[in-house]
Amino acid sequence: MPADLLLQARDLTRSFGRRRVLRGVSFDLAPGQLAGIVGENGAGKSTLLKILAGELRPSGGSVVLRGALGYCPQAVVLNDELTVEQHLDYFRAAYGIAGLERAHELVARLGYERYLRSTVGTLSGGTKQKLNLTLALMHDPTVLLLDEPYQGFDWETYLRFWDLAAELRDRGRAVLVISHLVFDRDRFDQLYTLRDGLLQADVVPVASR
Amino acid sequence: MSAYLAATRYTLIEQARNRLALGLLAVFLPVWYFLLGAAIERGPAAFKLSATGQFLTVDAHNVTVLTSGANAIALICGFTIFAATRKGAAFDRRLVLCGLHQPVLLAAKLTALAGVALAVSAYSTLVLLAFWRPESLVLVWLGYFLVALVYGAFGLLLGVLVQSELAGFFLIIMVGLLDTAFQIPVENPAGNKDFLHFFPAHGPIQLAVAGGFAEQLPFSMVLLSLAWVAGFSLLGLAIFWRRTRAWNARGRLTSRQLAAAK
Repeated sequence: MPADLLLQARDLTRSFGRRRVLRGVSFDLAPGQLAGIVGENGAGKSTLLKILAGELRPSGGSVVLRGALGYCPQAVVLNDELTVEQHLDYFRAAYGIAGLERAHELVARLGYERYLRSTVGTLSGGTKQKLNLTLALMHDPTVLLLDEPYQGFDWETYLRFWDLAAELRDRGRAVLVISHLVFDRDRFDQLYTLRDGLLQADVVPVASR
Repeated sequence: MSAYLAATRYTLIEQARNRLALGLLAVFLPVWYFLLGAAIERGPAAFKLSATGQFLTVDAHNVTVLTSGANAIALICGFTIFAATRKGAAFDRRLVLCGLHQPVLLAAKLTALAGVALAVSAYSTLVLLAFWRPESLVLVWLGYFLVALVYGAFGLLLGVLVQSELAGFFLIIMVGLLDTAFQIPVENPAGNKDFLHFFPAHGPIQLAVAGGFAEQLPFSMVLLSLAWVAGFSLLGLAIFWRRTRAWNARGRLTSRQLAAAK
């Protein structure tokens, strides 16, 4: 993989039974890039992200990743019996990082500090999603794969999420966001559409920063 | 080490918050001791110690109370570990994808399993005292601890193997009931038969009865029980290892590897 890339996916295919969901997807992510993938329901967006994150094995193709990965799955993956604070500590141990300064900063920015000691099973859907996102970002990864990470966010938190994504991009991180919202489109530097199992690069939106 | 401690701690916290299992321990266990004991009259029964071939004369009521405890422990431990393993599958996967080493998580699962087995067996042994005073409480506890480990490991295996919650519960209940009920020689035509040696609860119940009635420790039964624990848990952990692994683990160049390559 060229030194100026953080992620390189080549010829990814994936079938479920006879249904071919991905038919040869290739793309790259470079430092400082905020890319988006859009597509209809069932187009294979989440399948693609799961493959990139290492969760799902493709039928063919390869993925090379450089640096630490942050992955926010579409469905919230948390433990209902543990508190928010315990989640942060558990993932601190998993990532092998020393402190929780970044995690606490994210909790504050997403505005759910008052739930630190609540067990996750008692939280609202939106707060669970905030924790789901925090767990993907707390180790300050180089590559971020976010699958509709703002589901259930109120408008203000949704805007804060985009501030955060832009900030990460500006700090040289590579960010890939799956979205189904039309009005997200002009937030990306590069937009891809997943259609018929293939990824098409759209014309770079005018508002690209 | 810190990752192992964190993983063990949070696995144990999760299991301690299983309210249904705690309720079963508090209510079901004493009721089970009482009901099964009340159903069987006092009187002599012959119990074969498979380690020596010797027959012990035991009280039918007491041996039923003792084995009913083993049965309840098998169900509660099997259920607790099964429920936690199955429910936590996606979460464990996420932890591994985030960098938690699989052997660390596996070791934490086994430690938590031993912790649950220790707590459940100690509590069950103490409750047993309200119904019967065995010759050696420690050996009865050892039998109970091993049955808890065997069925905890069985729960772990089912937790990674069985998709449906109902199917898992059904299997634990059916296997647990048949396994422990067959071991009691009271009103059971299969009791003391040789084929029972191949049942998972055979070793633990032999230990509990030999210890509870004659203060004997048939060491081969400890090994037999541990073989079941090892068999169930190794199979379960192998499936778990395969399921939680990132498919492209080799394609991931971590910052540490990159620094080493420079």
